[in-house]
Amino acid sequence: MYAIKTVALTKKYKDLTAVNALDLTVKDGEFFSLLGVNGAGKTTTVKMLSTLTRPTSGDAFVYDRSIITEPDEVKKLIDISMQETAIARNLTAAENIAFYCELNGLKKDETQKMKEYLYDKFGLNAVADKKAAKLSGGWQRKLSIALALISEPKLLFLDEPTLGLDVIARRELWGLLRALKGKITVVLTTHYMEEAEALSDKIGVMCDGRLLFCGTKEQMYERTGKSDVENAFISIVETYKTKGGL
Amino acid sequence: MKNSFARIAALTKRGLKEILRDPISLIFMLALPLVMEITFYLIFHEMTSQFDMKYLAPGIVVFSQAFLTLFTGLLIALDRSTSFLTRLYVTGTKSYHFIFGYTFSVLPICFVQAVLFFAVGAVIDPSIISVALIPAILLSVVTSLLFIGFGILFGSVCNEKSIGGVSSIIITGQSVLSAMWFPTEGMSGTIMTIMNVLPFKNATNLIQNMIIGVSDAFKDVVLPLIIVLAYTIAVFTAAILIFGKKMKDN
Repeated sequence: MYAIKTVALTKKYKDLTAVNALDLTVKDGEFFSLLGVNGAGKTTTVKMLSTLTRPTSGDAFVYDRSIITEPDEVKKLIDISMQETAIARNLTAAENIAFYCELNGLKKDETQKMKEYLYDKFGLNAVADKKAAKLSGGWQRKLSIALALISEPKLLFLDEPTLGLDVIARRELWGLLRALKGKITVVLTTHYMEEAEALSDKIGVMCDGRLLFCGTKEQMYERTGKSDVENAFISIVETYKTKGGL
Repeated sequence: MKNSFARIAALTKRGLKEILRDPISLIFMLALPLVMEITFYLIFHEMTSQFDMKYLAPGIVVFSQAFLTLFTGLLIALDRSTSFLTRLYVTGTKSYHFIFGYTFSVLPICFVQAVLFFAVGAVIDPSIISVALIPAILLSVVTSLLFIGFGILFGSVCNEKSIGGVSSIIITGQSVLSAMWFPTEGMSGTIMTIMNVLPFKNATNLIQNMIIGVSDAFKDVVLPLIIVLAYTIAVFTAAILIFGKKMKDN
C-alpha cells in the first residue's frame, strides 16, 4: 500500500513553477528522505502533501485520500514537525505534551499513558518541568517530534528536524528517528546528506521543482558511480544542470 | 462539536498560561495601571474632580484593557513566527478554534483587571461601592472584546518585532482620545466629534456612567454601547478574515 502517491503534482507561483509535475510514491512504513538545494521544491511538496498548500494542478493521495477533495481525512492521518520548533514556549515540556493530548481529544488516563510513553521513548522526564523556551535546541527538537507522535499519525513529515543542532544532539535524534522506522511512514527533508544516508529506505532528489531521482541509496550509487549520498546527490544535480534540464 | 470544544478549551488554557507566565505582560496589564490609579488619585484628586475615583477607576479599567491588544497580538505573532499555528492547522485545528481560544484566554485577565482596579478604588474611596459595580464589571468584559479583537487583527498581520509599535496606536488612542486624563471643556468641535465617533471615549464613558449613575439611558448607556459594539464587530470581522487568510498563506 502506498502512503503517498502523487500524480503530476504541480505548484506554480505566478511565473515560478515551484513543483513541476511530480510523480512520486512512498510505501507504507518507508523512511523517505527528500533532498534538494535551496528552492528545489522540497518544502512546497511537503506543504502540499500536508494540505497546507493547494496544488495548482495534479493531485496527491495519502493512504488513498486526496489532498484536494479530502483534506480533512488526510489531516487525520498525518502530523508534522516543522523546521521551527513550533512548541508552546511558556509551557513546560510536560504541559506541552498534555496540551497536545487535550487537543487530540485524549482522556486523562490516556494522557498519562502517552506521557509515560514519550518520557520513556525520548527521555523527556529529565526536562519535564522545564519551560520549553528554556530547553536546549536538541531538547526542543526532541519535544517537537514527540508532540508530533501524540496524534498517532500514519505519516509523519519532518522538515529539517536537525537543523542547527550540534553533532551530538543530531546523532541522538537520529537514534530516535531510527526507532520510528517501519512503525510509521516518515518523510524527511534535510540538507544533511549523511542524515539521509543513515536513516533512509528511499531517497528523492529534487531540483527546480522536478524529481531527478527516486530510489534506494544503493540505486543512487549505481546510477552515479559514487559511494556516498553526498557525492551521488552532487553528481545527479550537476548532471541535470549541465544538460540544462531532464 | 465535542472535539471543537476540546480544542478551544485546550487553546484557551494554553493561551492564558502563555500570557500569565510572561512577567512583562503582568507588569503592563496589572501593575502599571494599578500604580497609575493610586498615584494619579493621590496627586490630582484634590485639584480636579476628573480624578475622583468614580471617574478614575472605570477609566483605568478600560485603559488597562488597551494592553490586551499588545499581549494578544504578541502571542499570535509569536505563534505564527514559530510555525506553532501551522503545525496545529495541519492536525485539524480550524481558524475559529484559534479565534475562540485566543479570545477566551484573555477574558479572565480582563475580569481580574476590572475586579482589581475597582477593589483598590473602593479601598481608597469607599463611596464608589454600590451594586452598580456588578454591571460595570460585566460591561467591561464587553469593552475588552474590542481590544482583544484589535490584538487578533494586529497579531495576524504583524511580526513579533512590529507588534509593539502597532499596538501602541491603540494604547495611545485609548490614553489620549478617551478624555480620561484631561478635561474636554474648551476643546474644538472637530476633536470632540472624533472622540465621540471613535470607540475609546465611548468605552470609558460607558463604564464610568455605570458608577456615577445613569440619567439618560440612551445617551449614557445605549449609544456608547452601540458604538463600542459596532467597532468590536467590525474589528473582529476583519480579524477573522485576515487571520483565516494568513493561516492559508502560511
